[in-house]
Amino acid sequence: MLKVTNLHASVDGKEILRGINLEVKAGEVHAIMGPNGSGKSTLASVLAGNEKFTVTEGSMEFLGEELQALSIEDRARMGLFLGFQYPVEIPGVTMANFMKLAVNEQRKFRGEEPLSAGEFLKLMREKAKIVELDSKLTARAVNEGFSGGEKKKNEIFQMAMLDPKLAILDETDSGLDIDALRIVATGVTKLHTEENATVVITHYQRLLDYIVPDFVHVLYQGRIIYTGDKSLALKLEKEGYDWLINDYKE
Amino acid sequence: MSVNDYIASLQRVERTTLRVEESVAEPQVVLNPASLAVEVAAGAKLRMVVVHDDPTTADLRFTLAEGAQVEMVELFRAEAFAEMQVEQAASSRFKLTTVELGAARAAYTINLNGAFAESEVNGVLTVGDKEHAVMHLRTNHNVADCHSSSVVRGLAGGEAVGEFRGMVYVSPDAQRTDAYQQNRNMLLSETARIDTLPQLEIYADDVKCSHGATVGQMDQEALYYMRQRGLSEAQARRVQLAGFVGDLVMQCGCEELCAALLAALEHKLERI
Amino acid sequence: MAKENEKDILEGLADREYQYGFTTDIETEFIQRGLSEEVIRTISAKKGEPEWMLEQRLKAYRHWLTMKVPTWAHLDIPEIDFQDIIYYAAPKPKKKLGSMDEVDPELKRTFDKLGIPLEEQMALAGVAVDAVMDSVSVKTTFRETLAEKGIIFCSISEAIKEHPELVKKYLGSVVPHTDNFYAALNAAVFSDGSFCYIPKGVRCPMELSTYFRINAAGTGQFERTLIVADEGAYVSYLEGCTAPQRDENQLHAAVVEIVVERDAEVKYSTVQNWYPGDKEGKGGVYNFVTKRGLCRENARLSWTQVETGSAITWKYPSCVLLGDNAVGEFYSVAMTNNFQQADTGTKMIHIGRNTRSRIVSKGISAGKSQNAYRGLVRVAKGAENARNYSQCDSLLIGDKCGAHTFPEIDCRNRTAILEHEATTSKISDDQLFYCNQRGLSTEDAVGVIVNGYAREVLAKLPMEFAVEAQKLLALNLEGSVG
Repeated sequence: MLKVTNLHASVDGKEILRGINLEVKAGEVHAIMGPNGSGKSTLASVLAGNEKFTVTEGSMEFLGEELQALSIEDRARMGLFLGFQYPVEIPGVTMANFMKLAVNEQRKFRGEEPLSAGEFLKLMREKAKIVELDSKLTARAVNEGFSGGEKKKNEIFQMAMLDPKLAILDETDSGLDIDALRIVATGVTKLHTEENATVVITHYQRLLDYIVPDFVHVLYQGRIIYTGDKSLALKLEKEGYDWLINDYKE
Repeated sequence: MSVNDYIASLQRVERTTLRVEESVAEPQVVLNPASLAVEVAAGAKLRMVVVHDDPTTADLRFTLAEGAQVEMVELFRAEAFAEMQVEQAASSRFKLTTVELGAARAAYTINLNGAFAESEVNGVLTVGDKEHAVMHLRTNHNVADCHSSSVVRGLAGGEAVGEFRGMVYVSPDAQRTDAYQQNRNMLLSETARIDTLPQLEIYADDVKCSHGATVGQMDQEALYYMRQRGLSEAQARRVQLAGFVGDLVMQCGCEELCAALLAALEHKLERI
Repeated sequence: MAKENEKDILEGLADREYQYGFTTDIETEFIQRGLSEEVIRTISAKKGEPEWMLEQRLKAYRHWLTMKVPTWAHLDIPEIDFQDIIYYAAPKPKKKLGSMDEVDPELKRTFDKLGIPLEEQMALAGVAVDAVMDSVSVKTTFRETLAEKGIIFCSISEAIKEHPELVKKYLGSVVPHTDNFYAALNAAVFSDGSFCYIPKGVRCPMELSTYFRINAAGTGQFERTLIVADEGAYVSYLEGCTAPQRDENQLHAAVVEIVVERDAEVKYSTVQNWYPGDKEGKGGVYNFVTKRGLCRENARLSWTQVETGSAITWKYPSCVLLGDNAVGEFYSVAMTNNFQQADTGTKMIHIGRNTRSRIVSKGISAGKSQNAYRGLVRVAKGAENARNYSQCDSLLIGDKCGAHTFPEIDCRNRTAILEHEATTSKISDDQLFYCNQRGLSTEDAVGVIVNGYAREVLAKLPMEFAVEAQKLLALNLEGSVG
């Protein structure tokens, strides 16, 4: 589904990603871990097409197409979803209105008819249940005045609405209390199928108790320096990154 | 429903003086008034829509008796020069939603003359090309215990100029005044200009007065966020602009008109 | 707490006198009252100025004749008879001063009373002072130490004679004589003031300071200050002012020009404590001042002012951010009491790219005073990525005073982000009660609250000045809670 080869990317002339190789197949769950500043969020942003970053080398193939040739929105319409670490507030724009636009843009891209108001409302109610999202929130402006937990739930709600092929969740667990973490994580698990794939970027093992990864990658200084199975996350939680990093440092 | 259809459905006021003794549920509409003096009797409620389609001069005067309520919407679709003076007795409530869809000049003076009078003004300026829109808004707290809120948003593209002059005046006796004034603006082109001056003139000490003004641009993070959810760049821009001014219009208190105004705004925004 | 009680305390305090209201009995040389080309020639001759300077003065005077008194400020200014002012008064010199010992002992006593440490104390304080009494500069200390670094710090009169090339290049370059009515007047009649030049790459090792004092009756004071920080230079400059207590109003129309060249930085701090007039509003200084700085690439100019004195203040220290990445700052505490009036603020003119400015203004009005903040933030077309943040707060003490805010934003570049916020509040009964409950008197509580309110600005002042400013605020407040 996703094949990243020797990906280099920089911001303001500073190289952050220095040769990433990663392959994600349908039905898989990948976790990306690593110390602060290792490039985890940058990887997510570059895949989504954030224009702050410049790809200097390598390729990113998604469903057989080179992502670099595609705009942010076309990547999204093809089914690449990024769950933001810091979801943006958009004053004056209601959630319902925003999602209706987004869902219908995706349908148009696939050559489908737009949803009627009734169908859309029904879909929204259905999906809101997955993350126990207060239906009142959909009448409010996007993320405006939402608590940290509500914002993250809202990300997963949008993921449910857009039903992506590949979901990249950037520290979706940060800033959540235990209940919200459970709700968000079970939401993600419910949405996972054999047809789609999930990449979770996280600092903590606790999210992986719910979302069991097939692969755990450790990102350090812009490269994946180690890949293991779910037991790696447990080891990292216990022992930290030093044992890996020390090996890597010259 | 378009603004025109909506207006056509309303009862039209042709007179230049109007006295409202009892509440009227349906909004009245006034087209291109040159002069209009409205008195609203104690406890009565009036809803009114004023539309300027001709580049004329308008002189409007509203007098609210004790406990009277006025909810009005003023829409500028031509370069009219309108002055409005509002006199408010105790416990009266005046709410104005005003939208300048292009070059126009509106000057409001609101006098809060009786205790617990309340005024609320939500204003929108949208200008493109070489348009110049001006909004002057003066709220005089002449007595104690009144409440006023004014929120004005401006969008300027092309070579247009958006100008706001706000004044909250608090007289020496107007203790316990609660006044809020905010003006936020977005510049959409290299050549547009925003000139804003929100002023406070305060002569009483037990007051809660604040104002703020900002000039900025489109939020790039929000555009990125919306595009990540599949909106095109143009769509994301429109959504953001409509959101910036739309929520003020949404508060106008009349659902049919809200939708029509939003549509008119969006139509204007596409041309900025 | 009971209003009666507060009132008693306050009324008691209101009787406190202006501490610097004494006059000094020294021989003073005056010229005739009034203003004419003849008077300007006399001033120029007395100062032994070169011809070009006289020409500049006359040009300014002729322009001034065409100008009108500005009336746009939120001030009630009685008509000023410009022919009833003495434009030049100087302590009569016995002979040319060679050393500190030769300064008139009475004059020295005056400066001692003012707490200006002219000699040893100054070394300890590390402050170089140029003291201007009435119209002439009396003494500039530390000149040799500064000269070693190539720093010129002297009176403007000396600079005109000894460094004409620098004065010609910079005088009037930031505030031209056509700028405004009072700037034109100043350009015509300025009698003295300070000149400071910091050469390329030099960091001035000590704080430089000017102390202004009006002494003689019936005189106006028109100092001219010119500060030039050449490329990469740094200087922190302090200015203090006092005047004797007199029944008539005295005019003070100064001009301060600052040139901040590439990569240079200037901090300019003022504690303005001119005589504010008495409780009834009689007397006091009219303080009509033009202060402006020009910042080139990567330059930084920071104005900090504590304004507690003067009957009327009309003053807008401004920054022209001409070069890319230039930074302008304005921190102000303006306090008015009794019948004082102040209309003060700043202009930030963004012309270069990536220019930034910050405005923090704290107004405090008490008694029957009127206190206005007036500001302008302008972003020119080419000023890409300009940023401004303004915070203008007003505190009202008592219900007979006024607090006003007139901030204009004029933006012609869409990449700018400009924010202005303002609030108006009073000292709440809850705050007073809380302080009283912890054992503070109401008077102390007000002082503590006001100082807390002004803290952000006071913190920008050099240490010795900050202490003085805090004391001044407390002093000026006395008699104001009601």
